[in-house]
Amino acid sequence: MTSAGGLVRQVVTFGRILREGGLEVGPGRISDALTGLDRLDIGDPDDVYWTLRTTLVSRPEDLGSFDRAFAAWFLRDPSAPPYRGSQPAERAGRTQQKARTDAHDEGEHFGDEPTEVGWSVHEVLRKKDFASMTAEEFSRTARALKEVAAARPLRRSRRLRPHARGRRLDLRRLARRSLGRGGDPIERTFRRRVEVPRKLVVLCDVSGSMEAYTRALLLFLHAVVGSGRGVEVFAFGTRLHRLTEEFRTRDPEQALAAAAARVVDWASGTRIGPSLKTFNDVWGRRALTRGAVVVIVSDGWERHDATLVAREMERLQRAAYAIVWVNPLKGNPEYEPLAGGMRAALPYVDRFMAGHNLASLEELAGVLAGIERRHAA
Amino acid sequence: MPFATIDDLEAALRGASYLSDRGLSTALFLSLALEKPLLLEGEAGVGKTEAAKALAAGTSARLIRLQCYEGLDSAHAVYEWNYSRQLLHIRAAQEGTVSEQELFGPDFLIRRPLLEAIESTEPIVLLIDEIDRADDEFEAFLLEVLSDFQITIPEIGTVTARRRPAVILTSNRTRELHDALKRRCLFHWIDHPTLEREIEIVALRVPGIPERLATQAAAFVQGLRQLDLAKPPGVAETIDWARALDALGHSELDARTVEETLGSVLKYHEDFAAVRDEALVSLVEEARSVAAVS
Repeated sequence: MTSAGGLVRQVVTFGRILREGGLEVGPGRISDALTGLDRLDIGDPDDVYWTLRTTLVSRPEDLGSFDRAFAAWFLRDPSAPPYRGSQPAERAGRTQQKARTDAHDEGEHFGDEPTEVGWSVHEVLRKKDFASMTAEEFSRTARALKEVAAARPLRRSRRLRPHARGRRLDLRRLARRSLGRGGDPIERTFRRRVEVPRKLVVLCDVSGSMEAYTRALLLFLHAVVGSGRGVEVFAFGTRLHRLTEEFRTRDPEQALAAAAARVVDWASGTRIGPSLKTFNDVWGRRALTRGAVVVIVSDGWERHDATLVAREMERLQRAAYAIVWVNPLKGNPEYEPLAGGMRAALPYVDRFMAGHNLASLEELAGVLAGIERRHAA
Repeated sequence: MPFATIDDLEAALRGASYLSDRGLSTALFLSLALEKPLLLEGEAGVGKTEAAKALAAGTSARLIRLQCYEGLDSAHAVYEWNYSRQLLHIRAAQEGTVSEQELFGPDFLIRRPLLEAIESTEPIVLLIDEIDRADDEFEAFLLEVLSDFQITIPEIGTVTARRRPAVILTSNRTRELHDALKRRCLFHWIDHPTLEREIEIVALRVPGIPERLATQAAAFVQGLRQLDLAKPPGVAETIDWARALDALGHSELDARTVEETLGSVLKYHEDFAAVRDEALVSLVEEARSVAAVS
């Protein structure tokens, strides 16, 4: 970093490295970084580090990637990041993420499919267990899932909108309309609180015992994420991983495969308790759960401590608006919730549902659209 | 641009009883130098809001604070017309010849924090606190304000800042902010402070506190953060607690004192119970040994 031109080249190249690492570094940020460095004595690597970090990074998740890139590029030491404060929380890197433009195309493509198809799926297919479907049957069913997923629970917003039957006077419109009438408020204008989709948080078990169902359920969830804002999706097996971003930008099957590879450690089985705990610690603390409908998709096979499941379910229940547990095994009439994790969780569950075939997912969508809180708010 | 170097800015913050680390100082310095808003994120209680207050105090600027909440709209954040006055005015004019221009002039305008900050001719630090609590429609309002420092009022025209306010946004990350908003901001993640720094902060914020007590309290809280708690305490809690201990006349920690006062540090019953039943004694021991060494 000696001449000014050299510095520009260094920073521009560094920006490109960050982009390859999955960070969104546009020309505006590069220009901020250069202007910032211009104001400092760049002999001090500490100040250079902080200046680049402040200007080029915009999310705590990216701090790890940034530190590694900084160490590799400016300090020429790929192994040891020099500065690494405690990360906000352990969240897997997003380095493999595809560009947003690709994702956009996919989204549109998904939207092109005729929605009516969903309801024409043969009745037999609607009742058929996902686990026993052929590939062709499955792809016909997959299209129907999208329609089912569009239903969302609603809540009253704090925001007021013009409404013919509102209770609060809309003074702004009233004053304006009275202008031509000598100040007589002849025409009353009102506003009222409108209903907006309630937050929806989905925690989906993608471990081996769920394999036959996760594909269908994840397709369902993918459509739910596409249905609007305020949906968060997490996958868990041995660990918990946030899927929301990947779902927005990737093909659902790819996202599923990537997620399974990341969260499932085949040797050690499902760990529902620790996964719920991570969720409560990392995401619940940021009030993600508050007022949300939480849907947990799992067969309840906890290989470890079921008391942890109970404890974390209790924490979850206190913050959530309602908890829905979807267990594909429940589709079998002879099923009884004997698995330790399932038994421990049930007291905290508001609705316990099957989700093993299309008909049961329709039922799930109906429940999500009309869910009421069991406990007094 | 009030500061020539980062060190100057750090000294000014210290003058306002705020100890900033190099990263935060650099971020604030750049925010002033580049005239760009700074987005501060971090766990609750690490001093995000305090940083903005200290910046205002350290630069002798007036702090204008906009606390965000769900449903916050431009009528509460930017401006609103004084409707009752407008209606009275129309009445008073009898003939009904009130012109729209007259009615929607500056006299009838109620200025809310954002407009106030933009219009002000004196130095301003604008704190947009907990932006993640507002809904995303509100973020759209902010875009024009934060990129061009101007506000368009349809009836009057565009108000452009004569003097750009320093802008600090804070977020607890209850949701992800819009990319368009982030692009307009510099970003800094505030970590919990190191032990040495936390002792300094306590000593600075609780004047007259015995050095040993400050050290032990900070060390104890640092120990708590290593535990598996639902809500690890922030610096704000350390300061509150140290203040409480000092006010009660303690000069050092012991297990009983901690048990009696722990409520100002741990705000969740499970955390409180877990610490009381398991870790308390060993944490006190540890904190006392840290203080003995230093």
